[in-house]
Amino acid sequence: MTRLPSHVLRAAAVIVALSMPLLSACVQQAPQDLVQSVEDMDRQLVMAHSAEFAPVEYSRFVQQWVALKERLRLDDDVIGWPWEENPFETDLRALQEEGSRVLALAKDKHKAERRGAASHIARLERRLRRFTNRVDQIGSRVALGEKRVETELLVKQARSFMEQGQFVHSKRAARQADERMASQAAQLNSELGRYADRAQVDHWRTMVRRTVDWSRQHQATALVVVKATKRLTLYRNGQAVASYPVRLGFNGVQEKRYEDDGATPEGSYRVVRMRDRGHTDFYRAFLLDYPNTDDQRRFQSARKTGAIPAQARIGGNIEIHGEANRQLSQTLGCVMLGNRQMDMLFREVEVGTPVTIVGAVDVDNTVAVVLAQLDQGGDDADEDDADPSDEQAMTDETIVEQS
Amino acid sequence: MKRIMTMLLASALCVAVGCSQAPNDKLSEAEKAVMDAKLAGAQAYAAEDFAKLEGMLNNAKKEMDDQNAKFGLFRDYGKTEQLLASVQAETPKLVEETAKKKAEAKDVALKAHAAAKNAVKKTQALVAKAPVGKDRAAVEAIKNDAKALTASLTDVQMAMDAEDYLTAQAKAKAVQDKSLALSSEVHGALAKVGGAKTAKAEPTTAKSTKSAKKKK
Repeated sequence: MTRLPSHVLRAAAVIVALSMPLLSACVQQAPQDLVQSVEDMDRQLVMAHSAEFAPVEYSRFVQQWVALKERLRLDDDVIGWPWEENPFETDLRALQEEGSRVLALAKDKHKAERRGAASHIARLERRLRRFTNRVDQIGSRVALGEKRVETELLVKQARSFMEQGQFVHSKRAARQADERMASQAAQLNSELGRYADRAQVDHWRTMVRRTVDWSRQHQATALVVVKATKRLTLYRNGQAVASYPVRLGFNGVQEKRYEDDGATPEGSYRVVRMRDRGHTDFYRAFLLDYPNTDDQRRFQSARKTGAIPAQARIGGNIEIHGEANRQLSQTLGCVMLGNRQMDMLFREVEVGTPVTIVGAVDVDNTVAVVLAQLDQGGDDADEDDADPSDEQAMTDETIVEQS
Repeated sequence: MKRIMTMLLASALCVAVGCSQAPNDKLSEAEKAVMDAKLAGAQAYAAEDFAKLEGMLNNAKKEMDDQNAKFGLFRDYGKTEQLLASVQAETPKLVEETAKKKAEAKDVALKAHAAAKNAVKKTQALVAKAPVGKDRAAVEAIKNDAKALTASLTDVQMAMDAEDYLTAQAKAKAVQDKSLALSSEVHGALAKVGGAKTAKAEPTTAKSTKSAKKKK
């Protein structure tokens, strides 16, 4: 075995000694602060719902981040030339920039989504307000029972979810509220559709004409109550001489079907008793002959078909009366006038005076118009749908003709 | 010679294909992990993290599909495996976080439910004070509303039972708000009714009271 010359060995030792620091200087590690900052960026992206609002971009980021993390795990240290850039640092910086772009995009889209949801909820709330006003306008709040509050609760939930950023839940609640309103509109249309039915309105008009004709032929007084306009008209000798606003039952515009339903009956009636002060709780009153034979026939038929509860009774004691309390806006089914108007009527009406109560006398009546508006739903004009208060209406007296 | 070449090629192909087997087992495990997180309620209580996890799984699936679409010799499932491993690693953290957030949401929902129950109880007590008879007309609608609120409390309980605490919270808050609004409406109606009673007190006789109580 030949020994290497000593100068060669010395040279080799010097080379190795010189290259050791050089080699160690080239070991490149991932800068921890950068790793941490990409971690933070990922967290921010998660909190900004990037997977929902920038799915494609975020998925690209995640893919790169996962791959880079794997490289960081496997290649803990990388050896490179001192003049070369640290590949981890380059990739981490690039990824962070990419993350910033995705974050900005996700935040923008999130903001836009929030704005859209807020505007949708605001429209829904306006629609509910209009819906409620319209239902009140035709006195049908009670007819809708618990459904109105259920809808209101859904709208409140939609807002609450929206405020928490739970847009999916918010949209679902809003959709349900929309559906409830549509179903309530359908219910009211089915129950009150006769107000928009030309044949029915013609029939009511005929009833009114007959009453007026009777008044003319008998040179006597007759009363006509139109539920849609909430007005009572006094006819003398076939001429309308006065018209007064009235209040109806709490389900007044509905068709009376049985006792306690709060509806004001429609039909041709007669005054059967006059109740003066001290004989009624409501100043002065005219008792009508409800139920008449038509009412009884309808009631029996409804009971037979199961349209009304089996234990329901037909009811009675329907009056035209004055006020016990000006604050009360509705009755249990009677027709209520101001006390001054009752005094006036008391001078004109007697037992036997015909009283015709009808739904409407024109097809464009308030109930039909409101039903059409409910049907349209939508969030068109933000009109107020102001409902003239009954208080004001009660003072709105019209003297048609002074005699 | 030709036979030897064919055999050599076939074995090389087998080796190549054998080396790039799709990680179906790992995919199933990752899918199961994501499903477990979902069942733990991650989608509701840690929605953002869950979306991220689902995104990673989808990425892995897409990557695997891309590789599957390639010719066998060129398939490389390394990236797919990385993504699947990340899904597996993230899931336990997510499940733990979900449990924590769920417990917090439950606590808030329980408080909201209790507050709503209390508000409805007070409203019902107020509504019960409303008299019957002619005055009933003024509070008839309010009674319907109170009934609806009571029914809605059942909905809150159902959401609690289903461990849907976020919905329970939102429902309970809505019920409470509406109860408060209704209470003030009842106060207004009772004030009207009080007026009616006063107005009626003077002229009422036994006879007229009887007539007022009759059917309608």
